[in-house]
Amino acid sequence: MSVDSVQTALGTEHAALWTYGMVSAFLGNQAAAVAEGANAHRARRDTTERWLRDKGATPNPPAAAYLPPAPVSDGPSALAALVAVEQDTCAAWRGVLERTDESALRTSALDALTAAAVRATRWRKAAGTNPASITMPGVASG
Amino acid sequence: MLLAVAAAPLAVACTTEPPTPPPPDPLSALAAQARADAALAKTLTTVPGAAEIATARETHAKLLQAEVDRERPPLSSTAPPAPTTPPTPPDPLAALKTALDESVRDASAIVATLPSYRAGLVGSVAAGCASLREVLV
Repeated sequence: MSVDSVQTALGTEHAALWTYGMVSAFLGNQAAAVAEGANAHRARRDTTERWLRDKGATPNPPAAAYLPPAPVSDGPSALAALVAVEQDTCAAWRGVLERTDESALRTSALDALTAAAVRATRWRKAAGTNPASITMPGVASG
Repeated sequence: MLLAVAAAPLAVACTTEPPTPPPPDPLSALAAQARADAALAKTLTTVPGAAEIATARETHAKLLQAEVDRERPPLSSTAPPAPTTPPTPPDPLAALKTALDESVRDASAIVATLPSYRAGLVGSVAAGCASLREVLV
């Protein structure tokens, strides 16, 4: 059960990494924050793949491409794509929290959920979204 | 001999202490913390973002209290006491930052120990407090 939810979380990490690569052309003025986000997702992807292999599972590979909720053609739509992918990441890691009793995996899932919520908030702030904060990250209505 | 064997459990039963009340629900402390943060944020009308923080922490308090009451229905229907309005601290912004940092830490600290059906709720509250903290950066 926790392996399935971790595979789902790995899928959102692949999607996040792809999205950060895709938007970078539109967010030249935020290059450092984009690079930081991409690095964080790359590191999380690697530890997640390692966890799955340790459990005898084969990590799901990334898709060739991902479809953002809205087409990305400029700075604001690029920010919206980042917010969406970070919120998807929050939901996936919250799903892991609810499906494991393994203390180390809980801690790692909480770290991933919190870090994605913080990045989503920063991108919402950059986009001028009000409120910038997310009350319950990982909850559809949150 | 038979009598002694039969009497032993009885003696145990007679000397057993009355059952101790169950330990307090850890989510109850988190709900109180959320109410206190909301009350503090409400007094800080000069701090930008304080209203957003007050609303979010009230939502956290409601969700946490609902889970506490679901698991252990309250004997009376009295609502938990509203926190008294705290005095305005000398440095309101710093006070609110500290309160949110503590809320992230306290919620995060118990996530690994909770039953899984509660871990998601408390995990989202911890991440929500981290998100609120960004509003004050």
